[in-house]
Amino acid sequence: MREHAASGSGDVLISIRDVRKAYRMGSEEVTILRGVNLEIRQGDFVAIIGPSGSGKSTLMNVIGCLDTPSSGSYTLDGMEVSGLSDNKLAEVRNRKIGFIFQSFHLLPKLSAIENVELPLIYRGLSNKERREAAVKALQQVGLDGRMGHRPSELSGGQQQRVAIARALATHPPILLADEPTGALDTRTGKEVLGLIEELNSAGHTIVLITHDLEVAARAKRVVFMNDGILTEERGDGREAVARVQNVMAQHSGQQA
Amino acid sequence: MKLSQGFRMSWHSILANKLRTFLSMLGILIGVATVISLVAMGQGSSNEVEKSLQSLGTNMLSVNIMGRGSVTTLSLDDAVHLADGIEDIEGVAPIVSGNAAVKYGTTESASVSVEGITPDYETVKDFKHQSGRYIVPLDVSNYSRVALLGVNTAADLFGSEDPTGKTVLLNGVRFKVVGLLEPKGSSLGGSNDDKVLIPITTAQRLFQSAGIRSISVKVAEEDKMAAVVSQIEAKLAELFRGNTDSFNVFNQQDVKDTMSSISKTMSMMMAGVACISLVIGGIGIMNIMLVSVTERTREIGIRKSLGAKKRDILVQFLIEAIIISGMGGLAGIGLAYAACYAMTHYFEMATEIKANIISYSFVFSAAIGILFGIFPANKAASLKPVDALRHD
Repeated sequence: MREHAASGSGDVLISIRDVRKAYRMGSEEVTILRGVNLEIRQGDFVAIIGPSGSGKSTLMNVIGCLDTPSSGSYTLDGMEVSGLSDNKLAEVRNRKIGFIFQSFHLLPKLSAIENVELPLIYRGLSNKERREAAVKALQQVGLDGRMGHRPSELSGGQQQRVAIARALATHPPILLADEPTGALDTRTGKEVLGLIEELNSAGHTIVLITHDLEVAARAKRVVFMNDGILTEERGDGREAVARVQNVMAQHSGQQA
Repeated sequence: MKLSQGFRMSWHSILANKLRTFLSMLGILIGVATVISLVAMGQGSSNEVEKSLQSLGTNMLSVNIMGRGSVTTLSLDDAVHLADGIEDIEGVAPIVSGNAAVKYGTTESASVSVEGITPDYETVKDFKHQSGRYIVPLDVSNYSRVALLGVNTAADLFGSEDPTGKTVLLNGVRFKVVGLLEPKGSSLGGSNDDKVLIPITTAQRLFQSAGIRSISVKVAEEDKMAAVVSQIEAKLAELFRGNTDSFNVFNQQDVKDTMSSISKTMSMMMAGVACISLVIGGIGIMNIMLVSVTERTREIGIRKSLGAKKRDILVQFLIEAIIISGMGGLAGIGLAYAACYAMTHYFEMATEIKANIISYSFVFSAAIGILFGIFPANKAASLKPVDALRHD
């Protein structure tokens, strides 16, 4: 693994080595990840980009411990994750990772604050601690005025903020965002992205998955996923995206 | 996750999905209510049968004399001495019965059953008088024209008046009313209260029948019944010179056994129908539970991605299933009581709710509800979060 000047300055949080993932679809085995290596440090803001079907969602699921790799090693915050039991993985998800999903994944029957409290319930916090942490997280995303509203009573941008508050509430070392702006219009998408940037400057490590190059350009570091193989792009987000755009243009040129 | 928290989470979820909760409960409610009320109906009718059997008396034999041709029947003397030489007989009551129009003043009762009896009738049939006096041996030997009235007959003829001492006409013959029988209700042979009792000798005259065609025999102990029956049969066979077709001895225990077995069969049938409805209710519960968990797979995925362990998910679903099944079951028991009350009061059907049926049906429905709440939840909770999340 190479060290990268552009990456965060802190300790290594995520270290993925030669991770492979294959699914069995019917009688055929489909390989999604073909030996991925990735290192993410404390304070990083990494964008994983790539066309759909490139395997970036699968990689994000592996990073988020929602799925287990077929082979390879994955160390998260100093702990080897591959091979852990279901229960241990649930605990890892609860303590180490804050998820921000494309379609928010809020529970529709719970109010904003109850949604934010959910991961804290599974952590086993008392009512009072939970409420305090949830209120603080909602304040952080500027939604402390709408705590009692259900997701259906909130706009898309507000729902995503609730989801971000939920991710923040547990103070995880890593925020994992899967197309966080995918379901939002351009303006609210920008707002949410701004919020994510703020969080990064406040010291949160962020891994963002997107196929939108404009979104990726906001990241400090970009990795490009294509056909199950990850390539590191040098320079900051803007430079990297420019290069990727070139490559993609050539690709489509060849295909045409 | 703490258990109290799981309870609150489940309660929240139950309240948040009222329609789903209601539908889940409905299956259990109907299952429990149907079983309890069907069995209560079965039990009620079997109680009714039991009650009317009780009035038959368990140690009673009735001897019917058909006679040979139309001439040879048992004489009163033979009938009274039927018990002689047979042990364990407590009493013998020969009866001559017929129907007669009863008239008091201008009030005429429709045809009433009239029985000619001996004084032993009182102990054998356990049928006492409440006022006046009973038929005494002197009445029999004197061919007295005296009568005892059943309560209904007395009410028909005299209203609230005391009939004792009054004179009534039986088929135009004057009889003095000497007493009023106690109310006895009806037994298999019809109402005991629409009846007039007169001395047997008087009845033979009234109906112009010399022979005795019916004798009631009271046996001392129930387990001596069979022995007494065979001795009476032997004695009658001797009297009728071996012609066993001229008489039969009718053991009321046999009737009782038959009736009990019929009522038992009825109860079994009711229980069978109840079982079927319980199974159908169970399938209803199963369906709604399966559907609701499938529908909630995404929720399970979200919860797992936020750090819920499999155990947390199962605890939540288990508590939900217990609450829903429990409430459904209790509502079902309530409905069953209401239904039984309605049946008893508006349709005059006898019902009896038994505690063990309540617990069986409750436990069965609750078990189905919990099993089928947990089984699919377990399946969903075992999915990888990524697969559960992808579920729409």
